[in-house]
Amino acid sequence: MAHAKLESKWGYVSHGGILRYPEEPPFPVKEYDAHYDHIFEMMEELEAKGEILIHRITEEHQPIAVFTRTGRIKLIPTNKLWHHKSCGQCGNIPGYPASVFWFMNKFGLDYLNEPHQTSCTAWNYHGSGTSNPVALAAVWLRNMHQAWKTGYYPLIHCGTSFGSYKETREQLIMNKELRDAVKPILKKLGRLTEDGRIVIPQEVVHYSEWVHAMRYKIKELYEKEGKAKGIDVSNVRVAIHNACHTYKMIADDYPYDPEVYNGQRPAASTAVVKALGAQVVDYSTWYDCCGFGFRHILTEREFTRSMAIQRKLKVIAEEVKADLIVTHDTGCTTTFEKNQWIGKAHGMYHPVAVMSDVMFAALACGAHPFKVVQLYWNCSHYEPLLEKMGITNWRELKKEWEDTVKYISELEKAGKYDELMEFFKEYDLYEPYSRTSTGKPKASATANMPLFKS
Amino acid sequence: MDGHIYGYNLPISEKTKMVPWEEKVRIVEEVKSDFRFKEYIFGCLNCGVCTASCPSNRFFDYSPREIVQRFLEEDVEVLYDMMHEYIWACSQCFTCWIRCPFVNNPGGLVAIMREVAVRNAFEATKDLLKPYGRVLLKVMTTGNQLSADMLQPDFFPDWGPKMADNMENLRAKRLAIPFDVGKSVKTAWEVSLETAIEMYTIWRETGIFEMLEKLDPNLYNVIMDIVEENEERYQELYEEEE
Repeated sequence: MAHAKLESKWGYVSHGGILRYPEEPPFPVKEYDAHYDHIFEMMEELEAKGEILIHRITEEHQPIAVFTRTGRIKLIPTNKLWHHKSCGQCGNIPGYPASVFWFMNKFGLDYLNEPHQTSCTAWNYHGSGTSNPVALAAVWLRNMHQAWKTGYYPLIHCGTSFGSYKETREQLIMNKELRDAVKPILKKLGRLTEDGRIVIPQEVVHYSEWVHAMRYKIKELYEKEGKAKGIDVSNVRVAIHNACHTYKMIADDYPYDPEVYNGQRPAASTAVVKALGAQVVDYSTWYDCCGFGFRHILTEREFTRSMAIQRKLKVIAEEVKADLIVTHDTGCTTTFEKNQWIGKAHGMYHPVAVMSDVMFAALACGAHPFKVVQLYWNCSHYEPLLEKMGITNWRELKKEWEDTVKYISELEKAGKYDELMEFFKEYDLYEPYSRTSTGKPKASATANMPLFKS
Repeated sequence: MDGHIYGYNLPISEKTKMVPWEEKVRIVEEVKSDFRFKEYIFGCLNCGVCTASCPSNRFFDYSPREIVQRFLEEDVEVLYDMMHEYIWACSQCFTCWIRCPFVNNPGGLVAIMREVAVRNAFEATKDLLKPYGRVLLKVMTTGNQLSADMLQPDFFPDWGPKMADNMENLRAKRLAIPFDVGKSVKTAWEVSLETAIEMYTIWRETGIFEMLEKLDPNLYNVIMDIVEENEERYQELYEEEE
């Protein structure tokens, strides 16, 4: 074995600083000592040469070790996190990030949610080609520098951001010409270290990896608070859809685990659903993409809905009769959730609840289905799932939410802003939020944007 | 010639036939000169695993195997033709990449081809991306690609009647989220002005605004109006602080 192993807290460590499995991997490994893993050795070399600075995961991030499919152990920071939000989630599935924040607050974790972040812009790149690798790298490194500057570790909410950032990191490490192209731009932005280095995080971390790493704590919360509310997920049949951009892009950098199909399928989402005690049901097209397609979901929707219905929704309904499809990305959640009703036109209506792993976990742990998980936004039927989970008072909870919205709307229309602010003091119980890292006047980039109307 | 002896089963378009050979070579060479090209193509068994698992292949006349094969054959005529409409069928899921025994990345090759098609302002690309303008407007000016106000029910009638309910009282619904996420209607989250200004610098330095200008001059003008207004606003704020 080429790697002289040193005992460490997490298992074993190679000379290059890569954490690796013990002698006997816990499941059949695809390719021990894979090409990709050497990226981490190269990062160390580039740091030693003074080209980059690695934003390291330290004890204050309370890291948890997870397995990858190549023999490498990945550290997932669980605390002191900088939230790299997802535009698709915040814009279209508001209960998705709200559920992440709900858990963070429940566990008393420290985090920063600030406005000094752009999205990765990779959705646009995959949809329209209107960008290039230098621009994508500059956007990524700007965001990563901002996280580093604040002292918080970046947690990437979106699957496409995660996939794109993993790929961009590999390109940067492997290609001096890309580093040389992006460095002057970062310098102009003031986004290099004082001694002129590019900041690159030790690990690119997706929120689903955080959920995966935290699954036993989530289970504890479910046992303590969810069950106390009469919630029981043991009869819920869950079909898992893993997002292409989390595990097919830079495939060697995502969790696998012996508990999930003996390490032969991605572990995130499946493992937390299993930890909660719900029934994971397997179906033949688990590997297929949802049909999102980036451009297609917006401008070529006959493809998106055909793929979603024929290859996923129909198969899941016929093979396993799932109550719920659990996802872990923005596009897949939207695709499955919004493309059910149209199936009626072709006699292919296969209603099923759809939500992300963290939304389902939040429901199981007793989060408000509308105030926190924001299910009102769904176009598909979630009500039978709530009944089956034992959340039988969902009608009252929905009315409570609708009354709140009505009240806010009326106060705003009447211009009673002081009253509105008083209301929010009582209502916003989930601090800390909106912590910003600079004392600059908070001005928004959206002031001059036109509001889209029908 | 209708079709192609190697299997590309669409006829080469008349437009492609009319383009001078040197121009077609220039375009294909532009794709091949991208630093990623050598990392995305290694060899091909013609096993077709990529195409068998490709979602776009199920519903379009599109095959990732063809993309790889045409590059290996250096089939300039077909590659140039593919760059007008064929490549836009790819859904960028990268199933082809994870499954290829050679670790080829046909989806990555398509990304380079699309980028070159946009940069060279192909007419077909302009037409194809016209309906995509709203996303470009959002992302270029605010750094967010999607916002709640983009999901108008009459744009998404196939998403069902609940879309109309969703949009009712939208602002109040967003304000009622008890966390600082999704509160903005015009963007996914409130992006600070200084962050947007940094992003505009990135677009300028990397030639993205130029790409846009060639792709859609009208959209470019709308975007630049917002960019310049924001830059002026930032300058004023900065001077006030000073």
